[in-house]
Amino acid sequence: MKPFDAGPRLPTALGPQETADGVRMQQFPPAEAWDDWTEWDHRAWPRKIPRRYMLVPTVCFNCESACGLLGWVDRETLEVRKFEGNPAHPGSRGRNCAKGPATINQVNDPDRILYPLRRAGRRGEGKWVRVSWDEALADIGGRIRSALQEGRHDEVMYHVGRPGHDGLMEWILPAWGLDGHNSHTNICSSGARAGYAFWMGFDRPSPDHANAKVILLISSHLETGHYFNPHAQRIVEGKLAGAKLIVWDTRLSNTASMADTWISPWPGSEAAILLAIARHLIATRRYDREFVRQWVNWEEYLRAEEPGSPPTFEAFEASLETRYARYTFAFASRESGVDARVLEGIAEDVANCGGKLAAHNWRSAGSGNLGGWQVARCLWFVNVLTGSVGVAGGTSANAWDKWVPRPPHLPPHVPRWNELAWPREYPLSFFEMSYLLPHFLKEGRGKLAVYFTRVYNPMWTNPDGFTWLEALRDEAKIGLHVALTPTWSETAWWADYVLPMGHGSERHDVMSQETHAGRWVAFRQPVRRVAMEKLGRPVRRTWEANPGQVWEEVEFWIDLSWQIDPDGSLGVRRYFEPPGRPGERMTVDDYYGWMFEESVPGLPEAAAREGLTPLGYMRKYGAFEMRAGAEPEFVRPLAEAERAATRVDPATGIVYTTAPAAPAMNIVPTPVFVAGALGRPIGVMVDGTARQGFPTPSRKLEIYSSTLAEFGWPELAVPDYVRSHVHPDEIDRQGNEFVLLSTYRLPTLIHTRSANAKWLLEISHSNPTWIHTEDAARLRVATGDLVRVETEIGHFVDKVWITEGIRPGVIACSHHLGRWRLAEGEGTSRMASAVVGLQEDAGRWDLRQVGGVGPYASADPDTERIWWTDAGVHQNLTFPVQPDPVSGGHCWHQKVRVSPARPEDRYGDVHVDTGRAHEVYKRWLSMARPPRGPLRRPHWILRPFRPAEAAYRLPDGGLPDAG
Amino acid sequence: MSAIGPTPPAIAPRLPVSQAFLIDNRRCIGCHACSTACKSENEVPLGVHRTWVKYVEKGAFPDTRRYFQVTRCNHCASPPCVPICPTTAMYRRDDGIVEFDGDACIGCKACLQACPYDAIHIDPESGTAAKCHFCAHRTDVGLEPACVVVCPVHAILAGDMNDPSSEIARVLANNRVTVRKPEQGTRPKLFYVEAEESAITPTLASQEGGHLWSQLPRGEDWRGPIQIGAGRMAGALVRSAAAPRETYNAAHRVPWHWQVPAYLVTKAIGSGMFLVAAAGTALGLLPERDPFTSSASLLALLFIALTTGLLVWDLDRPDRFWKILTRPQWRSWLVKGAWVLMGFSAVAALRFVAQFSGGPSGLSRALVWPGVALAALSAVYTAFLFAQAEGRDLWQGPLLAPQLLIQAVMAGAGMLAIVGLVRGVTLFPVGAVSWILGAALAGNLLLTLVGDLGRHPTLVARTAARMMTRGRYAPHFWGSVGAGVALPLALLLLGRGSLPVTALAGLLAIAGLFLYEWAFVMAPQQVPNS
Repeated sequence: MKPFDAGPRLPTALGPQETADGVRMQQFPPAEAWDDWTEWDHRAWPRKIPRRYMLVPTVCFNCESACGLLGWVDRETLEVRKFEGNPAHPGSRGRNCAKGPATINQVNDPDRILYPLRRAGRRGEGKWVRVSWDEALADIGGRIRSALQEGRHDEVMYHVGRPGHDGLMEWILPAWGLDGHNSHTNICSSGARAGYAFWMGFDRPSPDHANAKVILLISSHLETGHYFNPHAQRIVEGKLAGAKLIVWDTRLSNTASMADTWISPWPGSEAAILLAIARHLIATRRYDREFVRQWVNWEEYLRAEEPGSPPTFEAFEASLETRYARYTFAFASRESGVDARVLEGIAEDVANCGGKLAAHNWRSAGSGNLGGWQVARCLWFVNVLTGSVGVAGGTSANAWDKWVPRPPHLPPHVPRWNELAWPREYPLSFFEMSYLLPHFLKEGRGKLAVYFTRVYNPMWTNPDGFTWLEALRDEAKIGLHVALTPTWSETAWWADYVLPMGHGSERHDVMSQETHAGRWVAFRQPVRRVAMEKLGRPVRRTWEANPGQVWEEVEFWIDLSWQIDPDGSLGVRRYFEPPGRPGERMTVDDYYGWMFEESVPGLPEAAAREGLTPLGYMRKYGAFEMRAGAEPEFVRPLAEAERAATRVDPATGIVYTTAPAAPAMNIVPTPVFVAGALGRPIGVMVDGTARQGFPTPSRKLEIYSSTLAEFGWPELAVPDYVRSHVHPDEIDRQGNEFVLLSTYRLPTLIHTRSANAKWLLEISHSNPTWIHTEDAARLRVATGDLVRVETEIGHFVDKVWITEGIRPGVIACSHHLGRWRLAEGEGTSRMASAVVGLQEDAGRWDLRQVGGVGPYASADPDTERIWWTDAGVHQNLTFPVQPDPVSGGHCWHQKVRVSPARPEDRYGDVHVDTGRAHEVYKRWLSMARPPRGPLRRPHWILRPFRPAEAAYRLPDGGLPDAG
Repeated sequence: MSAIGPTPPAIAPRLPVSQAFLIDNRRCIGCHACSTACKSENEVPLGVHRTWVKYVEKGAFPDTRRYFQVTRCNHCASPPCVPICPTTAMYRRDDGIVEFDGDACIGCKACLQACPYDAIHIDPESGTAAKCHFCAHRTDVGLEPACVVVCPVHAILAGDMNDPSSEIARVLANNRVTVRKPEQGTRPKLFYVEAEESAITPTLASQEGGHLWSQLPRGEDWRGPIQIGAGRMAGALVRSAAAPRETYNAAHRVPWHWQVPAYLVTKAIGSGMFLVAAAGTALGLLPERDPFTSSASLLALLFIALTTGLLVWDLDRPDRFWKILTRPQWRSWLVKGAWVLMGFSAVAALRFVAQFSGGPSGLSRALVWPGVALAALSAVYTAFLFAQAEGRDLWQGPLLAPQLLIQAVMAGAGMLAIVGLVRGVTLFPVGAVSWILGAALAGNLLLTLVGDLGRHPTLVARTAARMMTRGRYAPHFWGSVGAGVALPLALLLLGRGSLPVTALAGLLAIAGLFLYEWAFVMAPQQVPNS
């Protein structure tokens, strides 16, 4: 046991460091000093009082970028003093966005939920009673056990907003035998994912901004999104090194302000511009011909699209030229409103990129528009044409820059298909049809016995929140609602259990993201627990080391699984026993210890060099770099050992093997191909060499997608421009109709979790509706005036903010703000939310703000210094669900009518008719094309929590031809 | 072996360390990480900021752009906050960091007036001045400031600009850089690469358009958007939608409130009464009569005590007022002024005692001219204090000292008349007093019109003057000119020789003086310095 007063008492001065740019002071103390680091107390300064800390690495929890943090734990008091970056983290490199340092606000929030709560009155009444973790585990575990025993597996669902972990639930949910995962992805990135995945199988790009020559963003990565901080670092690096930064955003974002070229296209026209660029490259013969010839499935394209044509590459080129001839700059200019010469300039920049085009579409146009998935698809088309795939300065596939370590137990694929998350109508949806859940419940498609909302606030973050409210409050539809959350939210108010799970410094997780050309894994850990254990105070459960009894999910799931199956007879418990020690309960050290020992190549060696175990290495550094630099895995020639049992299909060039697949150490989501007559596809012949290729049916980049053709969309089998639901022809400008762009985010906030981060709220707490000067003049409104914004199902009342930073005809309002609570004391944090009154009359809902934000007394004297009063306006409530029929992604852009507010309107008013919302849902549902064959979904495309092959087959052999 | 041979050892001495900042606007993405990192590192309370990011937008769609400016203390090489601080709480270190000692600060807020950059605020927890201090508690152990470390794009550089091998020296040498308000002579050591003019010059961007995602705190305590007449700013460009506009900025509180104009009035009365009575009798303008002159000394003492009381009341740490005596920073006119007031009080007290114990004596007569000198200095030292307030250009005019003297004579004469009336003093020298009052009123009028309505050397001074004469303080200003100068002058002309009329004129003059000082003290504090 280390005594408390060992170690240095006074700070030791660090020497300067030589860098390539000159001498600098140090950014961080060296890792060797992290266990005992002394600094001068900042409050006593200039009086010199030394303070001793233990610096414990962890990972930020405020978005999915997984940036590193170091927690400063006071060795004397064991309080966390502050968070800085983690210099050992290859993605974030010691730096953070504004939300990183603000984590301490969330940890120290005097109103945070500290103990497990169960509701005492009716659902939504706001009466809570504190319970013990054991009580909660027994109740929840018992209900899940009953559901499993009675074959009601589909009634248990885990619905996640912010995962913050890789590979965890793939161990838990299949162990319980569930296809019960649901997520938020299809209000976020489904559109972009689908666009990338139809090309290459992988669903996300990994741009190498730092080495690019042209950076093309249909996103706002210098202020938000996956992966804001690490991408912003490298975008600016690339720009300073000479790269041209081109940003497409209808609104003047901060990112747009940094661009060399910013264009503000009419929403939904982006694919037309991209195809004009593609046409330009093709017509002027300035594309990477060799790359396209070798790696695009042009032969398949010709067979499908030009049946009489000779199977030559020249014929393919001619076909492309004809097909895209109509995408002139003039056409793109008409659709987008952007000057054709500017568009041509962008095309020229792209043409001159020399194969170094780092491009990204994350949400933005991909999540706003009907057919938005074609935006990412057309963007990748340009990457393919320029040959900038997988090379330095270009854009890779995420899986090449990401590593999800295999856990000790990976249960087999579940032989079930949950139609509440994966309905038949959307065979190609990327991720679950999450936001349609309350409509499905309303239609009686199923019910839920146990429903977990985990760091998920659907009533607030999703469109059509009142339909969610109607479902959440109905005990016949949702038997038990368990909210796993670090903070109160609008949704948690309607839960039966509110179970506090830790923030970024209070939990274990493993993360890996494609933040740059390279690959790393990072480790989130409860910093006080780690400090206590290092100081000789063992901790059995993380909640002993966290504030109150705040816990963490990994231990919770293990204990819950033992509750579900105490004697192991259900076949669940064995997955929660450590390998080699049956009958014992898995601990976090077992879980991560095994993972780091067995599933992260290079880590055991690096640890051994320092005399540490792999787990010890990760506890010390919080991150491990597996590779630096881009790695185009598709080019890799198949090794001799791999080629042993292979055969080549002469028609397609695909290399098949009969050897069984070895369990992968990296379980990053990758398309799976079932073995056919020839075996399993593992590669493709390219100019006489067997190479790995892409995980697609053709093993190549698919300009022609047979999948799209077979699953109902032959007219979209090749990249094309789909007119958005908010195309200019749909908008009556003179009648004061506008496109409402609601998805824009702030660099300082993150949907639900930042409501109690006082430093972030001080900077940003208002979401006025942006409107162009001439539109405001026509409406006769000035900045600060109220307007009524009407959608198809209701309206909201907001103040306007006049700006030249938006296209006339488009308005914008940020959906990061507009928090509310139903009671004075509890609920969403008082520093961010307005107290509201809710009225309901047969599905017609009215929300009105009763009080704004104001100072209040608490354990933190700062809460009495709150000077802002605005909580913002909750616009999402008024948005009907608008699922894209292909990707399933919600089309966020709304066609709205704007008028000056009426005398009876008040700031923050919301009115919604959920009956109308259900009608709109049905109308959009009718656009979907259910599968005509025997399969629910193509087996190969990505699907989180992939069930067993048998579950893919439709029980009735397939639906009749939908016609 | 190199043909060039080894470099001979350097003979020239190394320059001392000079810590400086550089903000590279080619990189800054306006993300506010520096803002929260600083709040975290220094536990800065809500409502005040040691560093913040100002946003300015300009241009007409689609040629619109937003510009970011990281804003904080410039760690000036000639920092004006240091010489004005009365207790050495604000000081410049040998390594060029301008540091502050919260334990020494008495919360007088003079440094907030001295700083032309809004860098300083009063910490609401301690009531003492605070600002960016270069994270000296970190640099002393070799760590960069927290904002430098956190910045995702390494837009903030901090280091020794005198070391040619340092990163910051190399970037400084190889790039065009700009500083804020170089004309102030502060020699800032925070350099911007690619600064935007409408952001770096505080009065150029309109403040009327509201912020893009935050409110502005409102209320008497907070500095509001510039209001001059109908809200027009310099330049025709302001009227167009494309004009530069501020879309995010930190809000600042007004440091000095009614106590300051009040103390200027009480000090004017106290010093002026003694000045008029003592000088007047010594020069033979006024008859030397008890209890007239002794009451002048006593009342002068009382008003100076009132002045001191107001000064202490205005401190945010009145419990520490004695530190101005125990650890004085002698360059500050707050310190010198305190000693002047104390000296004047001592002389006035002695003179009162000498007179009270019976008629004019040698001591009483000997104290006249020292007393008069100290009284005059008491009246005018504020001009030298205001001259140290580099953040308020309007206060730095050359006419302020003579104007304060004339105002003291005016207020003193006026109060003498009021006292004479109230006490029913027989044989009150009303003629002489009203003559003195009238002359002072005329002089005050002349200096007011010339000083405040004439040309001003800087845009900041001009903006403050216009706010005073045409903006929100116009009622105070013109009220003081009309009811506080013109009206009493007219009364005196009409009712010369009447004590009630002279006393009324004196009352109006004193009330008008308060209104004027109110406008004069408040208006420049409403001009943004960031």
